[in-house]
Amino acid sequence: MSSGYEDEPMIDDSKKVQIVSNFILHTPPGELEDVLSDIQVLVNDAQVFKTAVMRAVATYNKDQFIPAHLPDAEQTVLVTEYNDLGSHRFFDPRSKQSFRFDHIKKLASECKPWKPDDLLESWRSCFEEEIDLYTSKHYKNGVACVFPMKEDSKNKSFILNICMEHHEFQPGNYWNGRWRSFWTVRIQPGSSIQICGVLKVQVHYYEDGNVQLVTSKDYQVNFDTDTKLDASKRFIEFVEECENSYQLALAENYKTMSDTTFKALRRQLPVTRSLIDWNKIVLYSVGKELKE
Amino acid sequence: MAVKICFSFRVTLVGKRVDPRKIVKFIYDLLLIKAKVPDKMTDQQMDSALDLMRRLPPQQIEKNLSDLIDLVPNLCEDLLSSVDQPLKIARDREFGKDYLLCDYNRDGDSYRSPWSNTYDPPLEDGSMPSERIRKLEIDANHAFDQYREMYFEGGVSSVYLWDLDHGFAGVILIKKAGDGSKKIKGCWDSIHVVEVNEKAAGRNAHYKLTSTAMLWLQTNKTGSGTMNLGGSLTRQKEEDSNLSEASPHIANIGRMVEDMENKIRNTLNEIYFSKTKDIVNGLRSIQPLSDQRAQAALKKDLAAALQKRQAKTVDN
Repeated sequence: MSSGYEDEPMIDDSKKVQIVSNFILHTPPGELEDVLSDIQVLVNDAQVFKTAVMRAVATYNKDQFIPAHLPDAEQTVLVTEYNDLGSHRFFDPRSKQSFRFDHIKKLASECKPWKPDDLLESWRSCFEEEIDLYTSKHYKNGVACVFPMKEDSKNKSFILNICMEHHEFQPGNYWNGRWRSFWTVRIQPGSSIQICGVLKVQVHYYEDGNVQLVTSKDYQVNFDTDTKLDASKRFIEFVEECENSYQLALAENYKTMSDTTFKALRRQLPVTRSLIDWNKIVLYSVGKELKE
Repeated sequence: MAVKICFSFRVTLVGKRVDPRKIVKFIYDLLLIKAKVPDKMTDQQMDSALDLMRRLPPQQIEKNLSDLIDLVPNLCEDLLSSVDQPLKIARDREFGKDYLLCDYNRDGDSYRSPWSNTYDPPLEDGSMPSERIRKLEIDANHAFDQYREMYFEGGVSSVYLWDLDHGFAGVILIKKAGDGSKKIKGCWDSIHVVEVNEKAAGRNAHYKLTSTAMLWLQTNKTGSGTMNLGGSLTRQKEEDSNLSEASPHIANIGRMVEDMENKIRNTLNEIYFSKTKDIVNGLRSIQPLSDQRAQAALKKDLAAALQKRQAKTVDN
């Protein structure tokens, strides 16, 4: 019995790098170390892949919004593409520091002062205050960060990228989960704000199996507003409304999946409400030609 | 050479589902020094490959598996026989009937239909069950067709058997796709692999069953966006049964499969619709947590007050 794969040529290193990177990027929350050690065993010449692995891990960490603890900061900061300064350095607008991040060890070091832009900072800290309150209201250990970004110096518009992360890892009980919220607020000071967002949930359950929940939903809205206080309040109201109704929509899907879809796939018992009489089935089956 | 074979046997057999035809080919290849001798390294690689498949999103099993095989081609056969994939449907043109494809009815690039017992694309020397086992296979297909109809009320099923030295082995496959009502797509795949060891001159037999059920649920409604809940659970069971006219192989296997599939269905129900939902609701609380904390504190206070009062009553 041949595999059907035997005659295929060996793949080159660039294809291998692509496969390995893809595995890393699809790692469920909280399982990067396990996946990396699997990959190390599978790819013997790890040295060839070191750069590629490092790049994929950095992308993965930023995509997952993983939290980092700065030695001198009270609160945690998220590692994302929105506070990436390049050369493995990130900034924490809350503690006004930049730091070096080791993506494999997940350690922050080499903190340096980081100076914010004054105009952006007043808006940023206003949104930060609101999102912090909101996060502690709905997430046990959630971390939210507001990262400013200059956009157009001519009409003075700018962007606040707001990232929120909450996870729970219980590898001892074979499950891990992560909730991510990401909001981009484009601000035209004194006139309007534009909000785009996406909510993502991933859950992995893997006791004697592999079951995963992967969800995402996009949002968009515009508001006319003239002050930063009003803008931040209306932003939070919108976020709360979106996230609450999102959670309710997921719950409703769960109910339909369980009550309707699952039941229609396989019955709990046959229509007779009793287990099958196999002797009867065998009697009926034996010696029958398949063609009827 | 004998040492090598024994060692290879151990490595190949431990903890895996084994197609005996593959072992025969394996030894044959080994004797011709065609195959790579598995060493500690490939053993470890197989463990890592399976661990990786347990972690990567099951929604992309096929891509992940083919990528993994590209990455470690020497694990190809082992991976194909130990990683379950969603079942594919093919049409037997001669019988005008659908059948299911898996690694157990595959030879090279061809698949054998349980209805016409021929390979598609045609194979001259494709592996075939013996006459006795083929007869049993025909009956089993018939029996599990009825089983499928009674539990799934639709879908496709196929049973494939192959000979072993002291018995036979087989796989029972069932696939059922939902009708997509209420904008939710659903699909179920069952893969039951059974190894049968006939003993005491055929008066009883030992059955070893490894069952995997895959459940795929997906929706893209406006309110909830994309929600994809899918994956698989695997369970094993061994049993000894009497073998007689009143209790033939198919009935013994049938009862085991039915019991196992009922249990897995309950577990799927529990994990999919209760466990993962609880995890989501643990990640975020719709109710403000301060309310919850206040409620919890109130409960605690009440309990303490009650206890105090009871203590007092006892004292008095």
